[in-house]
Amino acid sequence: MVNFIEILIRGLMLGSVYALVGMGLTLVWGVVGIVNIAHGEFVMLGAYFAFWAFSLLHLNPLFSVALSIPVFFFAGVVIHRRITERLVKEHELSALILTFGMSILIWNLAQFFWTNTYRSVSYLTGNFPFMGLVFGKGKTFSFGLAIAITAALFLFLKYSKWGKAIRATSQNSEVALVCGINTMKMRMLTFGMGIGLAGAAGAIVSLQWVIFPQMGGSYISKAFAIVVLGGLGNIQGALAGGLIIGMLEAIVTQYLSAKMAQIIPSVTILIILLLRPTGLFKK
Amino acid sequence: MRRLFGNRSQIWIGIVLLMAFLIAFPFFATDYWMTLLILIFIFTVYASGWNLFSGLTGYTNFGLAWFIGVSGYVSSLLIADYNFFWLLAWPIGALFTSMISIGVGYILLRIKGVYFAISMVALAEGTRELFGTEYLSPITHGGKGVPFVAGIGLSTLYWAILLLAFLSLIVCYMIFSSKFGLRLLAIREDEQAAETLGIHTTRDKITTFVISAFLVGLAGAIHFTYQNYIDPSFAFSIHLTITPIVMTLFGGIGTVFGPVIGATLFTFIHEILWAEVTLLYMAFFGGILMALILFFPQGLLGWMKERGILPRIRKI
Amino acid sequence: MTKEPILRIEDVVKKFGEVVALDHCSFDIESGSITGLIGPNGAGKTTLFNLITGVLQPDQGHIYLRGEEITYKKPYQIARQGVGRTYQIIRIFPKMTLLENLIVVGKVKGRKVMERAMDLLHLVKLAEKKDDYASDLSFGQQKLLSLAQVLMLDAKLILLDEPAAGINPTLQNELMALIHQLNEGGKTFIIIEHDMNLIMGHCEKAIALNYGQKIAEGSCSVIQKDESLLEHYFGR
Repeated sequence: MVNFIEILIRGLMLGSVYALVGMGLTLVWGVVGIVNIAHGEFVMLGAYFAFWAFSLLHLNPLFSVALSIPVFFFAGVVIHRRITERLVKEHELSALILTFGMSILIWNLAQFFWTNTYRSVSYLTGNFPFMGLVFGKGKTFSFGLAIAITAALFLFLKYSKWGKAIRATSQNSEVALVCGINTMKMRMLTFGMGIGLAGAAGAIVSLQWVIFPQMGGSYISKAFAIVVLGGLGNIQGALAGGLIIGMLEAIVTQYLSAKMAQIIPSVTILIILLLRPTGLFKK
Repeated sequence: MRRLFGNRSQIWIGIVLLMAFLIAFPFFATDYWMTLLILIFIFTVYASGWNLFSGLTGYTNFGLAWFIGVSGYVSSLLIADYNFFWLLAWPIGALFTSMISIGVGYILLRIKGVYFAISMVALAEGTRELFGTEYLSPITHGGKGVPFVAGIGLSTLYWAILLLAFLSLIVCYMIFSSKFGLRLLAIREDEQAAETLGIHTTRDKITTFVISAFLVGLAGAIHFTYQNYIDPSFAFSIHLTITPIVMTLFGGIGTVFGPVIGATLFTFIHEILWAEVTLLYMAFFGGILMALILFFPQGLLGWMKERGILPRIRKI
Repeated sequence: MTKEPILRIEDVVKKFGEVVALDHCSFDIESGSITGLIGPNGAGKTTLFNLITGVLQPDQGHIYLRGEEITYKKPYQIARQGVGRTYQIIRIFPKMTLLENLIVVGKVKGRKVMERAMDLLHLVKLAEKKDDYASDLSFGQQKLLSLAQVLMLDAKLILLDEPAAGINPTLQNELMALIHQLNEGGKTFIIIEHDMNLIMGHCEKAIALNYGQKIAEGSCSVIQKDESLLEHYFGR
């Protein structure tokens, strides 16, 4: 039984990072209206960001996580303004192909410049013993950072002007349009936030896992499952969805196999779309 | 409007000459050129099959690789593990896939828009992972891949895929110029209005989904026989979904010849690019995809129609 | 002996979450009549059309077409049984030509489809535009096209959702004349309209809805004098 609790906690820790990625995607998909297949690549870029900051500038990775947010936010804003804004009213096929192309471009450039060599940030090593269980320091700090960023996000959404505008748009974009909220500027900022979350998640990931150019792939499939689970545009739903996916992964890996755990995102998507397409959670 | 070709008999003569050339090709061409054409024909069927369903109904099938992988596996395993003759294995693979597609279509085609696209990717990706697990490996050989030889000569394979490509184009032409094709267009324009005008949308959607599955599945079976190898990551690869779509977009979605033109041009571009920029080839490919959507969304044929080089009206 | 009504709505209830769109609504429509369906916005009129055409299913109650229950039938089945419907916001197929817009509907097989389509295009005076894209038509012409589509279905019961909205009086008169012409040929109409003059001028009977309930039903002159109805409508 103690073993099971350890698995659940492991799942929560995994899920907290997945939730960041998922919340970013649901913001972009639900509020801006763009399906960004390249979302996972920004997680990868976030991880490399932290890695290079650590190797070249000896920057404390915890600080890199904080720094990644504005850096990736800005990158997202620019990308939206120049590229993805045009997709907003188009048939979904355009967004799917364009962002897929972007995804390929990004990870292949990463592979070209940085090679396939596995990288890692050895900053926080060692373990925490806690109530008879043992947790890696890297994973624990990652968990803490993920919680902190999530909390900051929720506070922002609840109390700030932009946050309220985002919530209004995700709940009813037509009304928001009439009220003059859903403008290009707002979409740009929301897209930036989505990418910022992805980059921050990536920087957090660098603390605990190996980094390589194709790593974005596993995050995007989980992110899709999270968005579908939580309901499109539903940020609390994405948080819950992320934790659920994390726990499912931990459980299935333990009791079946790691390979079987790879199927979880696909199966989740199919089941939810068939049975409860609006997601498990109400707004 | 200027027409590109003079009159109809000229077009027919041109087609007959082209077909004669293509049929005689193995007698004088090198293996390199034969394999190039084989790939062009395979992707012509993939692209036409995708276009037949998605180009007409507007439902974006983002899991084309699922048709290819399932049929490819059934066919290849029959040849490799059960010593089936290729001429039998290929249609069985395609039929198996299209039978299951009836059920898949019935369930998934209730989902609309981008969610349908996502569900099809999930199906393809999920099946890919599933085929790689230990639990299925007694049948599928796990993630290891299956090398095999089908006892078919290159020329024979060439003629087989040429025939399939030709037949696919005919099927597409027949559907595009029929009332059935018009109903599919209506589904794309406004599915609910189509329903209240008496169109049995579910039946029509599933029918074209299954026809698409059969054609694409058959080409898939041939594809892996040609490769003499199959494994899950290749059989269900997202590239097998994306490439035909891009070829169709490039040539002109919703037209009969768009996929052919796209497949031909893209295969040549791939060859040139691969030779020149091997390391960054994929990055270029990604960039081309982005450029295609940003600057050239209606494809080559669409562009030509806009310029008046080709007539705009469909013929019934 | 009363003839069987072409449409019977029996105790129909439809809810959307908490909101009751139709609240135990019942009425009959006689074959060959032109009935107006009136009421303020949100009264449930379009919902009623959606239920009749099978786009939605009621939570309670039954709908009968010529005595046969159609409550849970699919839209395409109901359409093929002769129920046609136009939409408040015009829903024709924009990227198809006028001719294609009609042919795609045709119940008739083979060559007759073309003939019938051309006949209908002549009827709505759009024959010269047969190869134009539907999106190129003016607003009023699109309304006529959608009516032609319904006629292509050989519909015996035709539901029109605000057919006169947004078109000039001349075209309105032409449209209503066409409706009367078709009515004399045996077609039944139910018309949702806000223009009371139009209702009074062309409908034999009217049914008034408010908050999902039927609050009045009868010949137009009777409705006109009904105090409570006037109160609901004009808030006196």
